[in-house]
Amino acid sequence: MNFKVRLGMVILIVLIMFILHNSFWLWDLDARVPLLFGFMPFAYSYYIGYTILAVLAMRLIIGLAWPDPPDHLFEESGQNKTTKSRH
Amino acid sequence: MTNVIGIGLLLLYMCILVAIGVYGARVSLKTREDYFLAGRGLGSVAVFMALFASNITAFTIIGHAGFSYETGYGAYGYVIGWSIFITPFTYYLVGYRSWLLGKKYGFATQPQVFGGIFNSKLISLLFLVLLLYYTLPYLVVSIIGGGLAFTTVTEGMVPYWVSAMVLIGISLIYTLPAGLRGTVWTDVFQGTLFLVVAAFLLSAVARALGGFSEITADIVESNPAMLQRTLSEELAPINWFSYSFINSIAVVVFPQIYTRILAARSSANLKQVSLYYPIALAVIFGVSTLLGVWGSVAIPGLSGKEADNIVPLLIHQFLTPTWMVLGLVVVLAIVKSSIDSQLLSVAHLVTDDFLPRFKRINSQQAVLWGRLLLVVFAAVAYYIALIRPAAILSIAGFAFSGFSVMLPVMIGALYWPRATAQGACAALVLPAITLHLWYLGLLPEWTTLGFMPVFPSFVLAVITLIVVSYLTPVPSPEQREKTFGLFGQVFK
Repeated sequence: MNFKVRLGMVILIVLIMFILHNSFWLWDLDARVPLLFGFMPFAYSYYIGYTILAVLAMRLIIGLAWPDPPDHLFEESGQNKTTKSRH
Repeated sequence: MTNVIGIGLLLLYMCILVAIGVYGARVSLKTREDYFLAGRGLGSVAVFMALFASNITAFTIIGHAGFSYETGYGAYGYVIGWSIFITPFTYYLVGYRSWLLGKKYGFATQPQVFGGIFNSKLISLLFLVLLLYYTLPYLVVSIIGGGLAFTTVTEGMVPYWVSAMVLIGISLIYTLPAGLRGTVWTDVFQGTLFLVVAAFLLSAVARALGGFSEITADIVESNPAMLQRTLSEELAPINWFSYSFINSIAVVVFPQIYTRILAARSSANLKQVSLYYPIALAVIFGVSTLLGVWGSVAIPGLSGKEADNIVPLLIHQFLTPTWMVLGLVVVLAIVKSSIDSQLLSVAHLVTDDFLPRFKRINSQQAVLWGRLLLVVFAAVAYYIALIRPAAILSIAGFAFSGFSVMLPVMIGALYWPRATAQGACAALVLPAITLHLWYLGLLPEWTTLGFMPVFPSFVLAVITLIVVSYLTPVPSPEQREKTFGLFGQVFK
């Protein structure tokens, strides 16, 4: 799969997570959903679930769009470090 | 606080920090790369703890708990909800590509990376000025917050001016000799200590207040609005949405965070950090939220700045002297971990990006200058923390926003070959100006269209970058090849 397509999927994941964070339409549930573990109200427990989803989302993003650099990429870095272009 | 065991623990903690500083100085190479970047050899645990500890400040355990005290459980999602995902995502979005450039070309700071991408000394200077401008007040506020907390937990036995001095002094003990390596090792030690003690603190307070369920039942009975976001003016949807653009996306712009990313040994290390970071943020802010909300029933009637003291007050009221000291150590550890990293990053920026404009500095001299500047900045920050000028507090108040509106330029530089130096300059300067105009009340409030100023400034940064880039000459193929040729070999 082309990298741009994969990056597009990553952007989609980010948008979904952003919408889930700004899920104002769910706020009415604050008063109606039972306490999780007997003490966590929905406004709090929602973000326990969001955290689990965030880990899964990052796992997916890493698989889609986070390739490791090829071994040869930094072979000349030793030379470049002493002649680096700084401003 | 007369408990002998407690004082012994505090002394043991300080001795461990001194030992870290001494050992770090012995194993460190006296080179710029090693002092400021730990030789770009930090493993997963070190990078994770270094980023986490630098990310967490006095605000986490003091300000956020105080906010939760007044606002309720909704404070959790408001302050950290979006950060739980987007902060580690920015470690990929901005951090990984920056790391690749740093590893390839030897860049060590944001001025170097982004000045290098655009081949522009002006961009480098703008980054340097803005980063110093926002970091210094933020550093001062960290010292103030930590100093006040320390004084509160000791019931005033240790006055504020001594507390602030202790915080800075302890930070210098290991940072001065060992540089980044010293701060990272203490971050690993303190991060572990913090997570353990925070868990015990939470359960101790819960036990003292009758148990997790009892406390919630008390809150439901006395102040049910604490459970319902729709009843809070502070958490109005437009504020909730706007806040997404403040702390969460600002983090990767903090120079102390950015440097730690550059110091990672490998891509695999950064991946592991990004994967588990959501859990760390959720845990620490989750604890802070509960302490704040529970504090509202345990010690009712506080407001404003008084509410910010809720965690030290809970520690003082509900814990035995030994646990009080451990709680104090935790507060110290959190505050200090951000102070030491901010101090080092400021010294690094000036050593590597300001001084070379005036004189040639070799690698060993850079270490000496870095140490000297650490002491100078520590002294200046301490003095300002003592006098607490309103201007500093105002700038700190929108420092996060200032960092946030630099992000469009950083993303544009790393992803858009058409971005020009002129576009980047305009997109750095204009939003910084609008932020000041709004926060200083020089522009009428209605011009933000109801959003917090950071959101329209962020949008302005994006638009400015795009429009000015298209109106200015295309970057040279050689310039683009340096950055995007490298990325092309990785992102296939």
